[in-house]
Amino acid sequence: MKKQKVSWKESVTGYLFILPLFIIFAVFYFYPIIEGFRLSLFNVTAKSTTFIGLGNFIEMFHDPIFQLSVKNTVIYVVFIVILTVGIGIMISAAVFDKNPHYVSFIRGCYYLPYMVSMVVMAMVWNFLLNPSNGLICYLLKHWGFKIFNLLGNKKTVLPVIIFVTFQFNLGQAIILFIAAMIGVSQDALEAAELDGANRIQRLWHVVIPAIRPTILYVTVINIIGVLKMFVVVQLLTAGGPNNASTTLMYYLYKNAFTFSRTGYASAVGVIMFIIALLLMIPTFHIFNTGETRG
Amino acid sequence: MKLKNRRRERVDVIANILIFFFAILSLFPLYWLLTSSFKSSSAIYKMPPDWIPKSWALTNYQALFKNQPALRWMFNSFAVSILSTCLTVIFSALAAYAFAKLRFRYKNIIYALFLSSLLVPKEIFVVPLFKIIMAFNWVDKYAAMIFPGIATAFGVFMLRGFFETIPDGIRESGKLDGANELQIFFRLCLPIAKPGIGALFILNFVNVWNDYLWQMLVANNKNQLTLMVGTATLMTELNPNFGYKMAGAAVAAVPMVIIFLCFQRYFTKGITIGAVKE
Repeated sequence: MKKQKVSWKESVTGYLFILPLFIIFAVFYFYPIIEGFRLSLFNVTAKSTTFIGLGNFIEMFHDPIFQLSVKNTVIYVVFIVILTVGIGIMISAAVFDKNPHYVSFIRGCYYLPYMVSMVVMAMVWNFLLNPSNGLICYLLKHWGFKIFNLLGNKKTVLPVIIFVTFQFNLGQAIILFIAAMIGVSQDALEAAELDGANRIQRLWHVVIPAIRPTILYVTVINIIGVLKMFVVVQLLTAGGPNNASTTLMYYLYKNAFTFSRTGYASAVGVIMFIIALLLMIPTFHIFNTGETRG
Repeated sequence: MKLKNRRRERVDVIANILIFFFAILSLFPLYWLLTSSFKSSSAIYKMPPDWIPKSWALTNYQALFKNQPALRWMFNSFAVSILSTCLTVIFSALAAYAFAKLRFRYKNIIYALFLSSLLVPKEIFVVPLFKIIMAFNWVDKYAAMIFPGIATAFGVFMLRGFFETIPDGIRESGKLDGANELQIFFRLCLPIAKPGIGALFILNFVNVWNDYLWQMLVANNKNQLTLMVGTATLMTELNPNFGYKMAGAAVAAVPMVIIFLCFQRYFTKGITIGAVKE
């Protein structure tokens, strides 16, 4: 195989075309990452910046709130992603081959909450779940449940956040899955029907394998989305009750901007970076179709 | 065989009935938002609630616009979203075209570098990023709200496929006419990628509009807040009137609902590009 390297002279035009985006990336993405790694090794105060090596990390691993935030983040990622992808596929599978107007309507209903943004949804849920004035708490009390302050109880706060976020993410997943399923080859489906496969068998053996790239894409998007989840925690619970619902992202934010611990927060960022990479490896391994883009 | 058909059909029908029911239920929070925003302070705490407000009070909205610079917030959001999206689309289109059609050294490595950025969200390095903004003295300025957001590889990812489908013959004929690469790009190739550009524009606009964490960090002055950030501040205000807060949320929701209704087709198309192989 001939490996002909492109000459520098010929490369100039290409470099010029990517230059604007590359400069933005260099300044606002790559440099902060490097700087983040660097800062994580320092103790930064208003007066001085002292090198402390792995001191931040050692303190972090001993902090029970950090440990709780890692545990919560993993719980959120696992449950929200499985629910979103699983139920997203199920809903899309039942709906994708029906009347187009019906499909549009269903898609629209599930996607509208996502459109209006998490800020709006979190505000509504905050109101609905408010212990003194909220509709949900009123209904729970009315039906005789002992626990009605769902956000104030550390046993129920995680499921509530998981539900609110999963319901929010579902819309985007449904749009993607429906589009992917519509694109599945009609020939393969007809062949399966002729072979005597019922609907469920057709879905499981033909449709789902065919949309594997989309499943991977939705899973990755959701993992990233849950990792950087912030609004729902801040507006619903502020990490509470007593840090019970805090996430790594929220922990980072509080340390950086409430406690002004720049070096420490950067160290949290490094840990999140590593966790993000660690989550991606098995994900790609499970869903890898062997195709490469690029 | 026929009996099996009917049983299968029933599962499908039941599934769809459930899905339809939950679809309507998905709209409940928004319906609650809307009706609550029009309730006076006495009606809003009534339990069981009035499912349809007995009287549609505008007091919450009046208070909102009187006490908060809500219109200014909307303007900020609009300006930031438009400017950020325009720059993102232009830069991404140029880069996507280069990766698709031009030849340059280390092209694949650089592309992989851009793409890998999709796996690590910016939010993780918000601390050093904020330091940079402070160093530039950009706090409370539009520049801080606009530029960091452009560092996304999503546009490149989305548009590269479009540019790849352009036959090389078009570039050849452009060269024969004596055009340089930039002219070929703008006059010949860009128009072909218009659907992708349109979809990217809408998607990016919505993403910037709904962005919260970063916009909250860079703007301190009340008048400089974007709509989402400003609306969220209502939650921590001393005013306990939920109708007032719901009115704020409703105002924040309306622009996106309008965009959704007008551009639904672009949305569906934009989201599926790059994710769904056609």
